Amino acid sequence: MSNFHSKEQYEEIINQKLNDNQLRKNLQSVMQTLKTNRKNTIAARYTDWEALRELGRRVKQNTLANLPTLLEIFEKNAIKNGFKVHWASNAKDANEIILSLMQKKSQNIILKGKSMASEEIHLNAYLKENGISAVETDLGELIIQLIDEPPVHIVAPAIHKNRYEIGNIFKEKLNAPLESEPEKLNNIARDHLRKEFKDFKIGLSGVNFAIANEGAIWLVENEGNGRMSTTACDIHIAICGIEKVIESFEDASILDLLLVPSATGANITCYNNIIRSPRKEGELDGPKEVHIILLDNNRSKILADKHYYRALSCIRCGTCLNHCPVYDKIGGHAYLSTYPGPIGEVISPQLFGLDNCSPMLNLCSLCERCSQVCPVKIPLASLIRDLRSEKAGEGRGGVLGYSNTHRSKIEKQSFMIFRNLATSGLKWRLLIYQVRIFGGFGKIFGNMIPGLKNWLSCRSYPKLDATLHSKVKQLKGVIYE
Amino acid sequence: MKVYFFATCLGSIAYSNTCINAIKLLQKEGIEVIFKKDQTCCGQPSYNSGYYEDTKQVALHNINLFNEPYPIIVPSGSCAGMMRVDYLELFENDGNYSMVKDFSSRVFELSEFLLKELKVRYTDTGEKIKATWHSNCHALRVTKSIEYSKALIRQLKNVELIELDKEEECCGFGGTFSIKEPQVSKAMVHDKINDIKSKGVDYVISGDAGCLMNISGAMDKMGVDVKGIHLYDFIAQRINLV
Ligand code: SF4
Repeated sequence: MSNFHSKEQYEEIINQKLNDNQLRKNLQSVMQTLKTNRKNTIAARYTDWEALRELGRRVKQNTLANLPTLLEIFEKNAIKNGFKVHWASNAKDANEIILSLMQKKSQNIILKGKSMASEEIHLNAYLKENGISAVETDLGELIIQLIDEPPVHIVAPAIHKNRYEIGNIFKEKLNAPLESEPEKLNNIARDHLRKEFKDFKIGLSGVNFAIANEGAIWLVENEGNGRMSTTACDIHIAICGIEKVIESFEDASILDLLLVPSATGANITCYNNIIRSPRKEGELDGPKEVHIILLDNNRSKILADKHYYRALSCIRCGTCLNHCPVYDKIGGHAYLSTYPGPIGEVISPQLFGLDNCSPMLNLCSLCERCSQVCPVKIPLASLIRDLRSEKAGEGRGGVLGYSNTHRSKIEKQSFMIFRNLATSGLKWRLLIYQVRIFGGFGKIFGNMIPGLKNWLSCRSYPKLDATLHSKVKQLKGVIYE
Repeated sequence: MKVYFFATCLGSIAYSNTCINAIKLLQKEGIEVIFKKDQTCCGQPSYNSGYYEDTKQVALHNINLFNEPYPIIVPSGSCAGMMRVDYLELFENDGNYSMVKDFSSRVFELSEFLLKELKVRYTDTGEKIKATWHSNCHALRVTKSIEYSKALIRQLKNVELIELDKEEECCGFGGTFSIKEPQVSKAMVHDKINDIKSKGVDYVISGDAGCLMNISGAMDKMGVDVKGIHLYDFIAQRINLV
């Protein structure tokens, strides 16, 4: 599957989403609710949220500084606990490991809890090509699977559909009666999934925290489908990005305290599944085998960069998406990547190649709101700006796809001219003088100048008043030198 | 006390009167203002697009120009943040870092300087009006000067300050962003304006020329009957400085 998307493809999908009024309405209302819930919970339940964020930042930074060692400790302890640990250096490896496990057990159905890592490697499509069907059991994931769409959000994959639309999808795809009440919609999904859960053999999940000292994995979820997919099967496969490994239960608890309110505004999730081993001798239930796939997929490349490594602190709470003034206008699909929104802009180019998705870096006004709310204090806006410098050919040059990235000569030239003018008082005053004389001229020809034309598409021509220097000179008491 | 005044590029190209009012506000407190005629732009356009080398040159031009140990007063939270915070990031690991640091420590946003350093008290002479306020993102989250700007407005007893529901949400300007992503920017400014419209105010005040140009320009095109005004024009009017 090609990761490359051109500037034109981006423009097309962005415009399409901007013109989808229903989508805009759905996104805005849900994002608003999520933001408000988060704010209220933090105000009501946390005495010092900022101190907790700082603690979370430090936990993740320390973890990342020791990641290679922690990964080894995790592997050792996990094996001791009876897990099977696999290393996947890229998407292909991970997919093949899962396929071969399925083939070994002669199974052609796998039930999935929510996992963004599985989206990242396009597991469902790969399995389908090999005659295996992957069934999504998370409500949101089920909805989008029925209409064959990728997740629109990393936490809430079907957030772009409202309950009436979901009712229609269930009616059309599941032959269910037309409903729109959340409870009834839940029942339809539950009935449908019960059948799937009846005698499945293989379940798949992601991992929220992999705890090195314990060799255990921790899964956070709200619907119970995660628990079903990981306990009622014979074989449980967990995909875990290497950055999910942390040192201790204490660290996991700190991060969990930050994750849940950031994600949904709740202060605790309905289910916390801490899995320490497969079924042991004499036990009556639980999977007989648990496989953990540690996925790199260019993460170690991110880890090696002195600034970008901080992006690996991400605990996938999604709150940077919820607070992004661009995301709530265009939605996740317009980013043309598994990971949308601010964190998506930071990690997508690094996971999938800067050359493949650099236009997405424009989808940010650098308002810094994401950096302000991120529970582990990732400086998202600064990292987006840094990635723009990679795109401009002025970064540190280590980003995946750096040398193949298309660079705009016109843009480079414009900023050279800008620098030339802005480093000379004389040239700058001449420029101001020209604006003063030709300001009105611009008004007439504004629609022919590309940048100005864009600006004027929804704004009146700015009132230019470039007479500052002469006014200052006339002002009494000012030292004009 | 002597201070440097940095007008910003938009100040000198489109908001001359605002800059004059800002200077008068300083003079009113007995401050002697130095206006360097070779001043240009803080460098945000190239910085935000990732052209770090060009930006460094622009920054050094400013740093060399404002070389005496006077405070540098900027009538824009956005540009003040660039010169105070972002320059430091830009020159991290650069031989010029300590020079940059000295410069950055002298940068103030005007309302912050008026309130924190000069402890101004304003007497409102205007009639009763309703106004709302738009926070510039950079001023809010990088310079952290918004509380001072709003505190100045709150000193004006005949001004009823009505807060926006989404005061802290970006208006869609973002400098080059509004040109690179005009459609997204348009959706953003329309959201901002709907919020403003719902408040039934006479004025929307902002402390940044960029946001103001964006919001006022779009309100004008949409035929919205609210007046966009720069913070320093507004204060100057209210205290009868103009
Ligand atoms: S970058 Fe921060 S805010 Fe965004 S998803 Fe990750 S942890 Fe959450």
